[in-house]
Amino acid sequence: MKGIDVFGYSFSAIKLRKLRAALTTLGVIIGIAAIVALLSITQGLQATITGQLNQGLSANTLIITPSSGSFGGGGFGGGGLSDASSSGFSLHVTDTTEIVALSPDIETAVAIISRSGYVQTENLNRETTIYGVDFEQYAQVYPTFRTTEGTIPTNPSENQVVVGTNINQPGQNGTIFFNTGDTINITWTNATSGLPVNKTYSANVAGVLERIGGLGIGGPSDTGIYIPIEQAQSFFGTDQCNMIIVTVKNNDNATITSVSNAITSHFSNQVSVISATAVLSLLSSVFSTIQLFLIGIAAISLLVAGIGIMNIMIVSLIERTREIGILKALGMKSRSVLAIFLGESVIIGLIGAIIGIGVGWGLAIVASQVLGSGAFSPGAGGGGGASAFTITPLLTPEVLVGALAFGVGVSVIFALYPAWRASKLKPVDALRYE
Amino acid sequence: MSSKTVPVVEAMNVKKTYMLGKVPVEALRGVNLRVETGDFVSILGPSGSGKSTLLNLIGALDKPTSGTLRIDGIDIAKLNDNQLAELRLRIGFVFQFFNLIPRLTARDNVELPMSIADMNKTERKKRATELLETVGLKERTNHKPAELSGGQQQRVAIARALANNPKFLLLDEPTGNVDSKTASEVLALIQNLNKEQNVSIIMVTHDEKLAHQAKRIIKVFDGEIHSDVVN
Repeated sequence: MKGIDVFGYSFSAIKLRKLRAALTTLGVIIGIAAIVALLSITQGLQATITGQLNQGLSANTLIITPSSGSFGGGGFGGGGLSDASSSGFSLHVTDTTEIVALSPDIETAVAIISRSGYVQTENLNRETTIYGVDFEQYAQVYPTFRTTEGTIPTNPSENQVVVGTNINQPGQNGTIFFNTGDTINITWTNATSGLPVNKTYSANVAGVLERIGGLGIGGPSDTGIYIPIEQAQSFFGTDQCNMIIVTVKNNDNATITSVSNAITSHFSNQVSVISATAVLSLLSSVFSTIQLFLIGIAAISLLVAGIGIMNIMIVSLIERTREIGILKALGMKSRSVLAIFLGESVIIGLIGAIIGIGVGWGLAIVASQVLGSGAFSPGAGGGGGASAFTITPLLTPEVLVGALAFGVGVSVIFALYPAWRASKLKPVDALRYE
Repeated sequence: MSSKTVPVVEAMNVKKTYMLGKVPVEALRGVNLRVETGDFVSILGPSGSGKSTLLNLIGALDKPTSGTLRIDGIDIAKLNDNQLAELRLRIGFVFQFFNLIPRLTARDNVELPMSIADMNKTERKKRATELLETVGLKERTNHKPAELSGGQQQRVAIARALANNPKFLLLDEPTGNVDSKTASEVLALIQNLNKEQNVSIIMVTHDEKLAHQAKRIIKVFDGEIHSDVVN
């Protein structure tokens, strides 16, 4: 029997039991829709985060932190109170000179001292992270460290500061609390020894940063304020820094590895060197795990759909035993009977997968709009105004083909047993079946 | 007909034993039979005589336990499932309960064996229409079995049996499920096919009156051929 005729015969059998076929297909639709929706949202999320990380962290950048310390103190806005690792090892501002001397491949090394603190004006009292950096070098490492208002002073006086855009207008809604040239008070609570002591100094706003958005490890933040490194050292009373950002001349893997190794061994393995590539690959592996987990959950619904298909096929096989007997008496081979039954499952799987992809995509769009409407906006630290975190769901060809193959595959696998049983029926017995 | 041609059916000491639980039941106890091209044979016997078993064997639906059974010169004991299926394409089956596929139209039912035999769509559509015309159902080609009377359904079944130009028609109680008027019409059609188109006919029945319409009557009783007479 020709393939097209087998397909036609399978289709006529499905058409006869429309409601049953529709309900069976619904199982596949739900399974595939769940997989497609979850995958396109997570892939969209991954693309968004990776994109934002790429903006804040170029491939030739290395971040050095004390081994047991957390690099979260810098870029993620946490601002640890302790600047030394538990082992007693700490990085110092002066280490930058040693690091630059380690390899000709190293271009610059910028120390960052960061602390949680407050910024105060007449009308504003806002929690922030205070970063002490060398303005000029920091701007070289991070091109996003540029102002929309005022300038970044090249030789800053000790009381000059640059602020993130969410500091002077936290709501991002036009209400500006201070402008360039205004004076603000910067407060830090020293709780490292004895009773907490508040330290405050008045600073002059030299510039307001352009909106950055997203996440940048070690990079500029919309919610941070930047003071000269020398001022940080005296204000915080330390020359220990939280991290040192190093840029290398070439961003090929060999250079990054050799520089990383040189730095690690220079500090006797007491530092962690994180490269952009490593962060991105870590992120990618985290997302892969999340995706696998989500696919696993969604696959359960597809498994249930598969069992439904098997159930319906066995019922169909019993109902059509006599028909199979007739077909075999008319000369149909066992493999054609097998193909007819498998053909029915392919049709169910294919229709289910196609509709499921459409439904899943629709769900992903709706979900991303709900998430992007403000409920999920880590970038807008101070208020619920503008969202810096919009997720655009991604439907890659791999997901598309995979969903189709998965839908059809599951249907066929679960139809194998009933189809095999149908094909093995003896015509004499099948014809006698009432 | 001439005995020089290959007989359509040739049975030599054919036995068939079934296991009924653990008890062996001898359904056929050594049947010898020869049906030539152009014959019109009726196999007559009461219920339980073994005639259905013989029908299944002649229809290549089953294999004998011992003895030799040749269909169109081929020993069916030596065939595997696929080869048996291919052999069945040369046999025109007509069942007592019509056994049409309910969801297919009359024409699609007639096309089915041709589609199984890989004939192309245009050719088989043309032939199905011609066959339905031969059995007098030209106007009913697009009707489904449920929209046809018992006699019409049996005619569709005969047209379907003729689809692949079979070596012989094998009929199982062809008038068992239709009224007497329709039975005469169906019988006339069968006789006509035998007479006009030289189609070999093997008809299995328990109806003595019907059996006597054939050219040759073989009586089966208790798994053996009791008599074989030319009518």
